[in-house]
Amino acid sequence: MESLLLLLFVLLFLAVGAPVAVSLGLSSVLYILLFSADSMTSIALKLFEANEHFLLLAIPFFILSSTFLSTGGVAKRVIRFAIAAVGSFRGGLAMAGVFACMIFAALSGSSPATVVAIGSIVIAGMRQAGYSLPFSAGVIANAGTLGILIPPSIVMVVYAAATDVSVGRMFLAGIIPGILDGLIVMIAIYIRARQLNMPALPWRGVGEIMAAARDAGWGLLMIVIILGGIYGGIFTPTEAAAVAAVYAFVVANFIYRDMGPLKNKPWRAHKNLIRAGADNLWLTAKYFLPAMFHRDTRMVLRDAARTTIMLMFIIANALLFAHVLTAERIPQILTEWILAAGFEWWSFLIVLNLLLLLGGQFMEPSGLLLIVAPLALPIAQDLGIDPIHLGIIMVVNMEIGMMTPPIGLNLFVTSGVTGLKMTEVIKAAAPWIVLSLLFLTLITYVPAISTFLPDLLMG
Amino acid sequence: MRLRNFINHLEEGIIGVLLAAMTLLTFSQVVARYFFNSGAVWALEATTTLFAWLILFGVSYGVKIGAHLGVDIIARKLPGKLQRAAAATAAVLCILYAVILLDASWLGVFSDRLNARGGAVDYIVKMHRLGIEMEDLPIPRYLAYSILPVGLALFALRSIQALWQILRGDRAGIIANFDGAELDGAEFADAKLQTAADAMQTSQPPTRDR
Repeated sequence: MESLLLLLFVLLFLAVGAPVAVSLGLSSVLYILLFSADSMTSIALKLFEANEHFLLLAIPFFILSSTFLSTGGVAKRVIRFAIAAVGSFRGGLAMAGVFACMIFAALSGSSPATVVAIGSIVIAGMRQAGYSLPFSAGVIANAGTLGILIPPSIVMVVYAAATDVSVGRMFLAGIIPGILDGLIVMIAIYIRARQLNMPALPWRGVGEIMAAARDAGWGLLMIVIILGGIYGGIFTPTEAAAVAAVYAFVVANFIYRDMGPLKNKPWRAHKNLIRAGADNLWLTAKYFLPAMFHRDTRMVLRDAARTTIMLMFIIANALLFAHVLTAERIPQILTEWILAAGFEWWSFLIVLNLLLLLGGQFMEPSGLLLIVAPLALPIAQDLGIDPIHLGIIMVVNMEIGMMTPPIGLNLFVTSGVTGLKMTEVIKAAAPWIVLSLLFLTLITYVPAISTFLPDLLMG
Repeated sequence: MRLRNFINHLEEGIIGVLLAAMTLLTFSQVVARYFFNSGAVWALEATTTLFAWLILFGVSYGVKIGAHLGVDIIARKLPGKLQRAAAATAAVLCILYAVILLDASWLGVFSDRLNARGGAVDYIVKMHRLGIEMEDLPIPRYLAYSILPVGLALFALRSIQALWQILRGDRAGIIANFDGAELDGAEFADAKLQTAADAMQTSQPPTRDR
């Protein structure tokens, strides 16, 4: 009964327009004041120690690395590669947009960042090539959600922190579903494109693919560093994220030179290879420190810090909320109730999916995951569901939540990028949500899609 | 106006430096381990403390720039006056949240049945009296944790300011307002859209001679 009050508080606070973090935090605080013996000191300390989960430290680093790469010209290079690879199909530019989102997702841990980086360029291009604005917006809003399914993924880090599952396994588990999701969307576009006779780009040959791949390679190397570093046991996921952030800084400032003091400085100022090489080494050494304090770098730091603060404030309060639930033994009560009601694994997953889809409408993904995962995991384990599989199901649910109103972040970002009204973006994204629901069903009932790769590589 | 600008730069500067320090500290530990075969025991504690400072110092800045996420679809359906009342209530909830966490004991005046004791201020006072240091860092605990009451107090102040702005009609609500579409990175979008147009038209790769 009392825990229902807790839920009621949250919904009420959300309804009047309080921040998600405060809604979760304040209802936990009030609950403790009314029903618990905990002192407010221990609760306040939870805010300070929210990051005692070492894993959560990876979040600001992943945000920072993806901010460096989104302000740099990485997106442009990734798009060039995607166009070279799939642009010559009918509807090729739209497919290239999806493909570019898939690649960029492997560099960035968040969906909105993917939409901004890829969407702002591709949507403008699609408009010029004669695609309708709603179609372009819908495609990108959907493909952008791949940001949290294809590793690295901030949402997966949060899930791992909430359930003590290995982040490495989660990252591996996301690869096949991520590629599959992207392929499904691309095939759907191709079918639509044949029906509507959408334009195709000219085929530029294998040479262009290779050249584009070489150009985008420096960015793509980051995913190799992250995944290779984690699986090779070279560093922890948190350290991998910090290394990625430093790497992204170096790539953006000194290799691509899209920002910082070397912006627009050519690589070959001399004809002579050796002199040019020495020249570049000298430039890098001379401007290394200035680059760290350059205006562009400060902008990136500020933006990444903003995003981190906003996200971590929600996470800290969601942890507080989860703490209250655990202290009240809600997970145990719920588990007993579900098992007594005679749920099988498949029927439990239906209920879970419905609950997550509903919850995803009102909550930010990381916060929702932190609250639901500790509730669902014990039940899932009793029913014989692999925690990794459960994690992927949750992430796919969060993907759908990101493109459904009222708090679908991707919709907001897409509206910002396209200038369409929110209601128009929602309409544009709707057909793609149906596709995502089909994909969710596939992921839910074919566990092997998620568990095959981690089981193969990590036993 | 100049003071406001200065505070703006100061806040943005502080959160930026905190984030950079965390990153470099963690990165340096990897370097130290592989190239110098060493590492600092205090590095982890220092990083998590910096992280806590980043979040707790930053939340008030988040209120100021309206970056905190929320759901406004219900409140926005309300007629004008009620809409403002809802927004004001939301701001009051934020103030209440911060104030209770700062110190809950004053709530005792309402009812004896409330479990009203302790809070962030209480903790700092206690730690100051006991003079305990952090586990690995040679820093007094009350100093490292001082950002907790300070951050909450700043959060309350910024929420009071937001409440004032809402009542005066200068601000629609305390949460992020997406109609302006000012979500991290989204502000780059405009600039990008412009460069994007010609980038796509020619479908030419960004030139870089190598």
